[in-house]
Amino acid sequence: MSDLLSTSVSGLLAFQRALDVTSNNVANAATPGYSRQNVNFAERQAQSSPSGYVGSGVSVESVTRSYDELLAGQARSSQSGYSNWNTFAAQAAQIDNMLSDSTTGITASLQSFVNSLQNVANSPASTAQRQVAFSQAQSLAQQLQNYNQQLTTIGSGIEQTISSNIGQINTLASSIANLNGQISQGLASTGQTPNDLMDQRDSLIDQLSQLVTVNTATQSDGSMNVSIGTGQALVTGNASTRLTAFSSPYNASEHNIGIVSGGNTTDITSQISGGSLGGLLTVRSQVLDPTVNQLGQFSVGLATIVNQAQASGMDLTGATGQPMFAAGGVLSTPASTNMGSSTIAVTRGSLSALTADDYQLKMVGGTWKLTDVTTGQNVTMTGAGTAGSPFVAAGISIVVSGTANNGDGYSIRPTAGATAGLSVVLTSPTQIAAASAIQSVASAGNLGTGAVSSSSVTNPTQWPGGNFTISFTGSNAYKVLDSGGATVATGTYTSGSPIAFLGASVTLTGSPVTGDSFAVGPNNPSNTGDNTNAFAMVDALSASTLNGGTASLTGVANNLVSQIGVTTQQAQANASAQQSVNQSATDARNNLSGVNLDEEAAKMVQYQQAYQACAQMIQVSGTMFNSLITAIQNG
Amino acid sequence: MRISTVTFQNDSVNRMDDLQAALSKTQTQLSTGKKLQSASDDPAAMVQVNQLNVTISASTQYVTNGNAATANLQLEEQALSDATNTLQSARTLAVQANSPTLSAAQRQDIAQQLQQQLQDLISIGNRQDSNGNYLFSGTAAGTAAFAQSGNTVTYTGSSSVSQVQISGQQRISSGDTGASAFINIPAGNGTFTTSVGAANSGTASIGPGTVTNSSQWLPDTYTITFGTGGQYTVTNSGGTTVTSGTYTDGGSVSFNGIQVPLSGTPNATDTFTVSPAGKSSVFATLNSLITTLSSPGLSRAQIATQIGTGLEQIDAAVSNLGNVSASVGARLNSITSAQTTAKTVQTTLQGQISNLSNVDYTAAVTQLSTEELALQAAQASYASIAKLSLFNYLH
Repeated sequence: MSDLLSTSVSGLLAFQRALDVTSNNVANAATPGYSRQNVNFAERQAQSSPSGYVGSGVSVESVTRSYDELLAGQARSSQSGYSNWNTFAAQAAQIDNMLSDSTTGITASLQSFVNSLQNVANSPASTAQRQVAFSQAQSLAQQLQNYNQQLTTIGSGIEQTISSNIGQINTLASSIANLNGQISQGLASTGQTPNDLMDQRDSLIDQLSQLVTVNTATQSDGSMNVSIGTGQALVTGNASTRLTAFSSPYNASEHNIGIVSGGNTTDITSQISGGSLGGLLTVRSQVLDPTVNQLGQFSVGLATIVNQAQASGMDLTGATGQPMFAAGGVLSTPASTNMGSSTIAVTRGSLSALTADDYQLKMVGGTWKLTDVTTGQNVTMTGAGTAGSPFVAAGISIVVSGTANNGDGYSIRPTAGATAGLSVVLTSPTQIAAASAIQSVASAGNLGTGAVSSSSVTNPTQWPGGNFTISFTGSNAYKVLDSGGATVATGTYTSGSPIAFLGASVTLTGSPVTGDSFAVGPNNPSNTGDNTNAFAMVDALSASTLNGGTASLTGVANNLVSQIGVTTQQAQANASAQQSVNQSATDARNNLSGVNLDEEAAKMVQYQQAYQACAQMIQVSGTMFNSLITAIQNG
Repeated sequence: MRISTVTFQNDSVNRMDDLQAALSKTQTQLSTGKKLQSASDDPAAMVQVNQLNVTISASTQYVTNGNAATANLQLEEQALSDATNTLQSARTLAVQANSPTLSAAQRQDIAQQLQQQLQDLISIGNRQDSNGNYLFSGTAAGTAAFAQSGNTVTYTGSSSVSQVQISGQQRISSGDTGASAFINIPAGNGTFTTSVGAANSGTASIGPGTVTNSSQWLPDTYTITFGTGGQYTVTNSGGTTVTSGTYTDGGSVSFNGIQVPLSGTPNATDTFTVSPAGKSSVFATLNSLITTLSSPGLSRAQIATQIGTGLEQIDAAVSNLGNVSASVGARLNSITSAQTTAKTVQTTLQGQISNLSNVDYTAAVTQLSTEELALQAAQASYASIAKLSLFNYLH
């Protein structure tokens, strides 16, 4: 009889515990990271009797989580992938949207500037049209500056987020380490798994995997080790290491990521992948920096092309054209780790050879080596690096002074700073050099029908100025004489083909005869209606002079828009694909670990009924006892 | 299969989120009329649209350029026509002045009228456009084309004219210099002039001649000297014999790519001269007519010869103005045809842009209603399924 009672009581207790667990499951149905708990019943040891073993009830052996480490790991890694691409796509879309407007974009503004130059060509003497062109030049420069400013803002937003992500990672790592300690202690002291602590830890690791890809390894004492990147330990047992964001040795405005161990910081920037941190690092190196550089290349191209054309012309006051635009210089930064006394001075040279890449100059084995950081390729330099013979490569000239130790280096960003420094340096619209710097006049005594079609300076650096004479020594042979009578060029004349000498080009038409001559000299300031150079400027602005003569300014701008568009499109597609993967992985995990209220309702009914039955058994045991007592009393 | 309650909730909400995002995107396309919102929607199309916009913008500018040039050329055309009329009046006056019945005083009156015509012509040459630029000064837009000192008129503009771009490939002169219209009027046949020796005693006369091979022509002053029996030699300015031959009445003399016809009989030692064509200025022509008509002491023959020369030069000037005017007309035609082409091209390109970037309303509206329907279905099914719970039946 006591068996009946104690068996029933064990049932009552077990089902009460089971109902507790069920109610806890129902209560936590919406708690993020909660794993539903199961009650594991076990038979109590049976008692032997002559008629065989008689069971002695039930006990609750353990309460365990429904949890699968593989599913949880898959959900986590897909979460890292998703937040990586999602962050990348969101940042890239900002740049994409900025560049995408076809009515106010760079190409449209450039064309407006070209159109305004055409209007200057239509009436070169009109100050009103010059004022319009001058304003267009300013607004083009301003627009490029605005773009650059927005990119800088996006960049500093990225840097701030990187820093705050690092802070979050550190907080999470130390909380995980703390929980590890509590879990191993709990497990050791009770032999039971502390389910709530383990859920908390999983939830923190989930949060961590949104920030960066993590690898986990469960230890026998119940603690979980967490590593990032290529195996850098973040949490080991109840200890965590700290990440730190520090200024890049080559670019103070960008943060690198280091792991602090034993007082030393190791740079692990290149090893970080996945999560929003990985997304930010890739968007910075693959979208933001290249956009700034290409915008810079456009700015350098604009300034170089227009300034060269200006130098070939004469402005409304009769003076030689002055530069219209100034672009920011080359950014060169010594590594903060340099030990030697060297300094470098970098200037831009050939526009055609200039790239939108970043470079690193490094002393290796006593020799300076130039590496294209963007492509990772070594770049061959000519020259000796001295002022007389600078290193020349990729459209830049480098003069090194002082002595460097091996390992000393410099970051060289040829175009990154160009747009920030872009401005219109002309002070008056009259300084737009619409007229050619030179004019050619047929001599009064010419007997042939030769006439001047056009005269222009094609290379202002070669043109020495002064007066020259094109003299015909036959009906189709000419020589060009300087003012001292020395021959500087000879050639065969074809009507309509330019006669080129010393950076100047003169086109004659008709049939000159022997003895005819044409005087070439500085243009007359009264030729205010001359628009030769305005056309030269218009032509130069659409010529393919960038990227080795393969791209025009419009081409560079279009290329930038399409490159960012494609990158953003891919990132959005990847984000959307990763979202599906993450959703199905999370669903798989939740389907195992999540609470199903119908199931809990059924269990509730089951346990409730069992509980009621056990109670009934106690009543039966009471009735039996009463029957026995009554029988004894009556007897 | 076991599905947790959280999965059901999450999936339902995610699906509704996605549908709402799609709806919002379609709605943005419909409200802006653009299916290309940013380059990432279709990078290739976006670049194409940018490029097409640039082409259209440039083409619009060429039309504007054409309009500016048309305005200038029409002013020039008007000026050339006015100048031609003035010269025709001057010609009529010169013909009147040639009448043998006129007295010196009457010729003086005509000279005064011609003086007025000269002034008119100068003022036509110095006309300005609406911006105050001189029409005939070439690139020296701010300098008057002609300067007058007494009756001597000199060209003070530049020797070149500015160009205007009327299409991607075509640049045309937006004007002509005063020198080419009024000063450099070719004399004779344009290559050389012929004259009769002052001391000739024979009856032979010489015609203006023609160029048979321009590449053989060497500009120089050549003298045709006759001997007896129609024999002649042609010598250049250095005295070197270029050719020689025998002349018969009505024949011609050919050398160095030119041919000059003669008629009548030359006597021995008669000479004829062939000189490179000079240029005559229409102002100088009028001026010498005025001088002739104002000089009372001239013989009738002298007056007739000089008026004859003047008339010839006026005719040459009118013909030159006609040539310049024809060239202006041709340029105006080029502009019109370039502008017509530009406008056609613009319409085509606008069509392409619209195909690439504008939303197809029918398709978009259909998509919108499909997405609306899907969202409604998702909401309705969620609302109905979410109500299902075993707890509802446990009382």
